[in-house]
Amino acid sequence: MADFTLTAEPFLGRFEQHYDDVKLREIYDVAFVSAAIPLRKLTAAKKAVSAAFGVDLPEVGMSALSQDSDMRILRLGNDQAFVIFPRAQHDTGAEPHVADLLGDVFYTTDQSDVWVTLEIAGTGARRALERICPLNIAPDAFGIGATARTSMEHLGTIIIRNGEDSFLLMSASSSAHSFLHAIETSIANTA
Amino acid sequence: MIINHPLLGPRDAAEFVYLGDAALIDRPDPEAENADEQFYEYGYLRDNPAGAHQELWYHEQGDRSWLVVTRDTLTHEITGVKLARDEAKKRGRNK
Amino acid sequence: MSQQTHRISGGLIDRSSTLEFTFNGKKMQGHPGDTLASALLANGQRLVGRGFKYHRPRGIFTAGSEEPNALVQLRSGAHQEPNTRATVTELFDGLTATSQNHRGSLEFDFMAVTDLLSPFLSAGFYYKTFMWPKAFWEKIYEPIIRSSAGLGSLSMQEDPDIYDKGFLHCDLLVIGSGPAGLAAALSAARSGAQVILADEDYHAGGRLNAETYDIDGISGSDWAAQTLAELSAMDNVRVMVRTTVYGAYDHGVFGALERCTDHLASSDGKPRQVLWRIYSKRSLLSAGATERPIAFGNNDRPGIMLAGAVRTYVNRYGVSPGKQVAIFTNNDDGWRTATDLAAKGVDISAVIDARDIEPPASVHGAAVYMGSSVVDTAGRKGLRAITLASGERLEADCLAVSGGWNPNVHLTCHQRGKPQWRNEINAFVPGSTLPAGMRVAGAANGALSLGAALRDGTDCATSIMADLGFKSKASKAPTASDEAHASSAYWHVPESRPRAWLDMQNDVTVKDIKQSFKEGFRSVEHLKRYTTLGMATDQGKTSNIPALAIMAECTGKTIPETGTTIFRPPYTPIPMGALAGRARGKDFRPYRLTPSHKWAENNGATFVETGNWLRAQWFARPGEKGWRDSVDREVEMTRASVGICDVTTLGKIDIQGKDAAEFLNHVYTNAFLKLPVGKVRYGLMLREDGIAYDDGTTARLGENHFVMTTTTANAVLVFRRLEFARQCLWPGLDVHLISTTDGWAQFAVAGPNSRNLLSKVIDAPFDLSNDAFPFMACSELTICGGTPARLFRISFSGEMAYEIAVPARFGNAMMGVLMEAGKEYDAVPYGTEALGVMRIEKGHAAGNELNGQTTALNLGLGGFVSKKKDCIGKTLSQRPELNRDDAIRLVGFKPVDHSQPLLAGSHFITKGDTANMANDQGWMTSVAYSPTFGHSIGLGFIKRGHERKGEIIRVVNPARNIEVEAEIVSPHFYDPEGGLQRG
Repeated sequence: MADFTLTAEPFLGRFEQHYDDVKLREIYDVAFVSAAIPLRKLTAAKKAVSAAFGVDLPEVGMSALSQDSDMRILRLGNDQAFVIFPRAQHDTGAEPHVADLLGDVFYTTDQSDVWVTLEIAGTGARRALERICPLNIAPDAFGIGATARTSMEHLGTIIIRNGEDSFLLMSASSSAHSFLHAIETSIANTA
Repeated sequence: MIINHPLLGPRDAAEFVYLGDAALIDRPDPEAENADEQFYEYGYLRDNPAGAHQELWYHEQGDRSWLVVTRDTLTHEITGVKLARDEAKKRGRNK
Repeated sequence: MSQQTHRISGGLIDRSSTLEFTFNGKKMQGHPGDTLASALLANGQRLVGRGFKYHRPRGIFTAGSEEPNALVQLRSGAHQEPNTRATVTELFDGLTATSQNHRGSLEFDFMAVTDLLSPFLSAGFYYKTFMWPKAFWEKIYEPIIRSSAGLGSLSMQEDPDIYDKGFLHCDLLVIGSGPAGLAAALSAARSGAQVILADEDYHAGGRLNAETYDIDGISGSDWAAQTLAELSAMDNVRVMVRTTVYGAYDHGVFGALERCTDHLASSDGKPRQVLWRIYSKRSLLSAGATERPIAFGNNDRPGIMLAGAVRTYVNRYGVSPGKQVAIFTNNDDGWRTATDLAAKGVDISAVIDARDIEPPASVHGAAVYMGSSVVDTAGRKGLRAITLASGERLEADCLAVSGGWNPNVHLTCHQRGKPQWRNEINAFVPGSTLPAGMRVAGAANGALSLGAALRDGTDCATSIMADLGFKSKASKAPTASDEAHASSAYWHVPESRPRAWLDMQNDVTVKDIKQSFKEGFRSVEHLKRYTTLGMATDQGKTSNIPALAIMAECTGKTIPETGTTIFRPPYTPIPMGALAGRARGKDFRPYRLTPSHKWAENNGATFVETGNWLRAQWFARPGEKGWRDSVDREVEMTRASVGICDVTTLGKIDIQGKDAAEFLNHVYTNAFLKLPVGKVRYGLMLREDGIAYDDGTTARLGENHFVMTTTTANAVLVFRRLEFARQCLWPGLDVHLISTTDGWAQFAVAGPNSRNLLSKVIDAPFDLSNDAFPFMACSELTICGGTPARLFRISFSGEMAYEIAVPARFGNAMMGVLMEAGKEYDAVPYGTEALGVMRIEKGHAAGNELNGQTTALNLGLGGFVSKKKDCIGKTLSQRPELNRDDAIRLVGFKPVDHSQPLLAGSHFITKGDTANMANDQGWMTSVAYSPTFGHSIGLGFIKRGHERKGEIIRVVNPARNIEVEAEIVSPHFYDPEGGLQRG
């Protein structure tokens, strides 16, 4: 019988570093679940999201916080949304949790371990991101809650503006070290 | 180049992967009598216009949508961008 | 300082501070604000280098980035940079520069003998001379040419500086901060647009800093400083000095190089330069104009300079390039040099104007020669005297030459735009086809007077703002006078006998152009390539138009009829380091780690790069003498008991939807509709042309839920293809795809004890027995007390085997747990080598076999192409040529002499036949030493292979001159009946 225990390890060992006007840290307790909208089920999907989160399904390129601010729902494509929320310490079922909330309208897939999540915050954040992010993330062009998928230093990245000068950056977990290196280099080069 | 994505707005072409002629949407009917002939043309014969060209681009570093982009092969001017899914349906691919 | 013999009053330099620098080891001094060129001139240093071909003494010719002559080696050691233009090099304390392209000292260059050989070194010299004897080329000609070619030399050390790249966005990019650019930027910025103002210079203002104009009642340079201050204080404006916009690309994208630390003694760990990609909605090219010379005899001596450059040195840098200056012009603007110099008290010996008109100005103390010209000059290492057409000889240590101004149209040509000739100014102006979103203003657009430039800039900005929907405050253009700038079409002095230089960097003369014409060259593009005119690092900024005019003269056509040359990026040279950016060494590309990487590192793994992944190749144990020892042991121990391998790198695609099964039927050759939930099936994909593409297993986790695996190499490509099939071919199907490759740490657990091992980690009440969980079963379950996992009963090794997947964050711990649980079975971790050996022993096809040339039939997988349904590639896979009776088939090979190794890449020749292409029977794709069988084994394709088992064939490798004999056998060396994997 099972007398072995498995311990989860954060992809970047709970990385956290403060620079002059930038803070960079790994958000390691992220639950991330994709929710695909079935063909011809957009109306039902919208209804399910309002019922589950108390907010409208965001437009493509935007995200919204649930009424209790616990969950953020991102719309990254016509038929693709994601739900991001803090993973409870011992919770191992992010996908069933979202599936329960949304009823069986969406096709849900656990993406928590596909991505590493970093938060870059501070007045120097945009200056650093300018070196790797091809998108226009000026405050007017990329409002709070805006989200997009792009590529930074050859790595696919989801960027979410989650505050005045704060961004969540998500990239593939297998290349987490390369991704961190790209961001650290950008901060060092613009310090 | 900049591709004006119908859902996401202007994006650098570096986010996309190029495939080629949008005629690749028109996969022949395998049940047709001359299916082998049609598939041969579908697979190997392409127009190579000097001017407006409908072509397929895949937003790999983005929303993973396939787009039909109308691009002038002489000037690179892009005069239209559509979701390939909508275009395929318009061309009668409903299955 | 007393050394600065040519320093005069005024200028935008800071005299309160002194900078020390050396040129060829000689200590000199300058001031902040100086360029290396202005400081050299201030110190009386006219001779700064040697010409490319004839090694003639050369000096400073211009005061900007168009400089063809004053190229120096900057800095020392690994930082040494050749071919740096002294005219744009900002002076810093401790700067060291040396001259280039001479053997012996700069003053006594042994290679100057080539000047005496000049009659033989004319246009096309290389093409004509080194033709024969053929054998001389490699041994004699090329080494000589190589050692004498080029100007500066490389340090031959790795570049110690770091470089970066970046992305900028704006509504309006203003290129050039002269009067037109400043006026435009100000107008646009005041209406609220996001504006980037870029200038290659470190001191914004363009010609305003070099001239003595007034704007709105204050000096031009003060107005520039004031405007710049206003712009810099605005949040919506980014002023980028030391930034060259070097290329205009599609759809408003520009390339720009910012030189961040080149003006400092040390980069201090920061990027030396940043290569920007600028996304602009609109752009305004206000890049000004470049003065062109007039060609006359011996016009390349140090001390002969462009007239505008002389003004720049006098007005901006407080340096007089000579003590006794002569001026030779064909236009009104050249006279400004005379008046500006006179105002500074510089002695002017003469003003010579090629036009036979009334003098446009009077210059105190200067002799004036109208309708005259300079035909020759004297002074070996620096100008001493000039000779006029009349034969009169005048003393001068500086000759300021003006042949009129060429608008800087370069960036307008980068998208196929062709400049147009404008007769009034005798110059090309931008044509009607401009890069998308671009406007041109000021001198770059042919508005050559200051007043016109200011109006043009303001007007352009106003109209661009209206176009972009900004409410523009009605802004009035700053006012300035419209000075005279009449010019004449006078390109070279026909009476001149000695050689007259056009392109001083590549040493092309008027005679070379004429000779090319005589040899039949007409097209300007051909002329350029034959003579190399305009093909040096300055790209002919000062020489192209005069050369074109001379060609026009030869052909008897007008200049526009003769043509123009198209400019391509970059506007000025871009260092390779800047283009590489961060992509150097280990940062060349990202790397991916498997979840158990740390465990593998701690347990003796050697890693191999597969794509971006680093995978454990084998795990060496103490005492093992080489990789074969480790790999053989890993295979043996796995087959004897149990082995564990991290197979996370295989692509995983989550497929959901009501029509998911039907979708799989379209993309796989075999049927998936009836695959039961809880089962896995091998699947084969073809390309639409019928060639095998990829294979893997797909598990059905639910009625509408599948998980597909792909090969490691094709993970991204298969996903792309599936999206294509989903969106473009079958958009009516309800199916959704998402990659989960990185989400699950997946381990192969293979060998007779695999079940025993796994039963120790899975949670009750899951039943692992063969009946409950047979070969090709799959299930979701929990392990180790509640961790979610997926289990697949699949085998790549041929053993009884499983693949178990856990969320990736548990992957490193999972490897440890599996090894711990396997201790009692002597479980062994194995790497990609052992994996490869076992798959060859089992006869599974991999990348070497699915190589883009082979069909399902070739691979022995013909039975996997369903006859009952269509799939991608099916129709064309039925082409007769792909189905010939003698098609190649995948079979196994074992050496007749077991001690001999087989070699992949060898070709098969039937015994008794000659080993040539005509008798080629196929080739060996994969080989391995099989510890299981004790000899080398191979897989390969051979004609009619399935009918030839037992035949002895020659395995020939002509490249290595090796031949062995092998027996054709089944590809399934190991357990051909498959009893073990089902056990």
